[in-house]
Amino acid sequence: MVDAFSAVFQRPNFLTFVIIFLWGFYIMVTRYNLVKKLIGMYLVQTSVIFFLVSISAKKGATLPILLSTTEPVQAANYANPLPHVLTLTAIVVGVATLGVGLALCAAIYRTYGSLDEEEILKKLE
Amino acid sequence: MSHQLPVILFLLPLLAAISMPVVCLKHRHWSQPISTATLAAMVLVSILNLYNIVHHGEIRYVFSGWAAPLGIEWVADGLASIVLLLLSILGLLGVVFNKPIYPKALGGRIVHFHTLILLFISALTGITFAGDLFNLFVFLEVAAISSYALVGVAGGRALFAAFRYLILGTIGAALYLLGVSYLYAVTGTLNMADIASKLPMLLSSKALVGGLLFMFIGLGIKMALVPFHTWMPEAYTYAPESVSPILAPLITKVVLLAWVRIIYWVFDASIVIYDIPILKIVAVLGVLAAVIGSSLALAQRDIKMMFAYGGIAHIGIIIIGIGQGNQTGFVGGIFYLLNDAVMQAGLFYIAGVAFYLYGVRTIDDLWHIGKQAPWLTGSLIIMALGMIGLPPTGGFFGKWYIILGALEAGNYISVAAVVLSTLLTLAYFVKLFEGIFRQTSARSNIQFGEVPLAFKLTMGITSAAIIILGLFSAPIVQLLLDNALPPGL
Repeated sequence: MVDAFSAVFQRPNFLTFVIIFLWGFYIMVTRYNLVKKLIGMYLVQTSVIFFLVSISAKKGATLPILLSTTEPVQAANYANPLPHVLTLTAIVVGVATLGVGLALCAAIYRTYGSLDEEEILKKLE
Repeated sequence: MSHQLPVILFLLPLLAAISMPVVCLKHRHWSQPISTATLAAMVLVSILNLYNIVHHGEIRYVFSGWAAPLGIEWVADGLASIVLLLLSILGLLGVVFNKPIYPKALGGRIVHFHTLILLFISALTGITFAGDLFNLFVFLEVAAISSYALVGVAGGRALFAAFRYLILGTIGAALYLLGVSYLYAVTGTLNMADIASKLPMLLSSKALVGGLLFMFIGLGIKMALVPFHTWMPEAYTYAPESVSPILAPLITKVVLLAWVRIIYWVFDASIVIYDIPILKIVAVLGVLAAVIGSSLALAQRDIKMMFAYGGIAHIGIIIIGIGQGNQTGFVGGIFYLLNDAVMQAGLFYIAGVAFYLYGVRTIDDLWHIGKQAPWLTGSLIIMALGMIGLPPTGGFFGKWYIILGALEAGNYISVAAVVLSTLLTLAYFVKLFEGIFRQTSARSNIQFGEVPLAFKLTMGITSAAIIILGLFSAPIVQLLLDNALPPGL
């Protein structure tokens, strides 16, 4: 048990990821305002991106451009570019989703005159 | 040239989708012919592609010359090509079906509709071919974003359904991405074949199990597996009549295909059966989905809602077949997937025609149809035979192989679930036909116009396809056995 706790607190990035993820999830589940739900959704997406960045971070590494062409390549000196590319793509996907979500929110507001889920459900019946 | 076919298949709808808003800015009525022609070309190319792959083996397409573990790779094997042929045919039929219906169903947003449909089809093509977990994620999201927009394209009640779909779908995508990053952290690669070659050494890793579970839950939300299905009936019911017959058969089945690819191609069959026994969970969830989906379908009064819950039950039946972990069950599941896509398309065409021509939304309105609509009633009868699974249709043979596979695995609960789901399906179709043939005095007063050709064509082709899939089930199953089996099963 103590081992498990110390393992968790030695990895603050994982702890942060879990907190942001659950926080976003909590907002999505409990709030009735549609824009707040979108904010929660964006937190969930960002937390996953944060996780992806944090597992690929490396101390003392530099850009993946060869420092010298004569010496053999030392992989430990360079950061892996792949996770960062993945992160960029995931951010773009997240922004696109958020855009569609906000457009839907705007259309819902124009149609029902409200962004509160309960009020909208009342008007639907 | 022939090894470029997978990319041509992807680029055809994508380029048409990009050029559509520009070309149709002034001439809105051009959008229908353009998308019909594009999808017809896609059907031809996918037939060529299937022929090519059956005769010359699978194609591993490497993008811009970077070989597999470094670059992005597409795998065009037998399974992907068969599903792609189905996908392009159903896309084409859906666009044809839209022709007489769009002024009423889409509220003038015809160019938006066609652009989104083409984008959606090209993203689904990407999902079927993707040989890279992250590439799969990107295409999943493109398909998902275009389907959120498609559900809400006509506004009204559908907007709220689309919003719920967006929220749940995005949780699914985030969980899938989390699973992918777990696998990436463990193996250091994203290429499916490369991960598969590294996994046997890493089986003790707990992150592997976590990653697999997160991916399963994420894709489960997107394929409307039972505990996560709540977005699906609303989205399909309130989506415009021209959108639901394209969305309903395609998105859940293609995501299911992606899941099958991860479970059997990335993780090997022996791993998912013995080392990380996720197939047992999959089979149990399939049983739940089959029984709960059919029971909920029986409780509905709205006919589109009823068909959507029927689709949820059928996802369960496919999953039961795939979760047995033997060849018979797997082939049965894939064969049933093909059938189910055709049946879902056919049922939503019927629902669309019933609403557009006869104003039918719920079971209480069904007496409008009566004996005046031989096309509609006839194809509904054939669809019902297929959904219930009676012998001349493909549905029977799919269920037959799934039950044989479950018996082979000694999994009697799965057999019982398939049979129970069949009985419940019978019950809700009896409810539908009772509504149609009920005797009322008001019937003779209502006169309806001629059924448009596009409706006859789409309903006729899907009904014929159900019968053809049944009559030629032996060669199709043989084709699947020869070309679509995962390695090591």
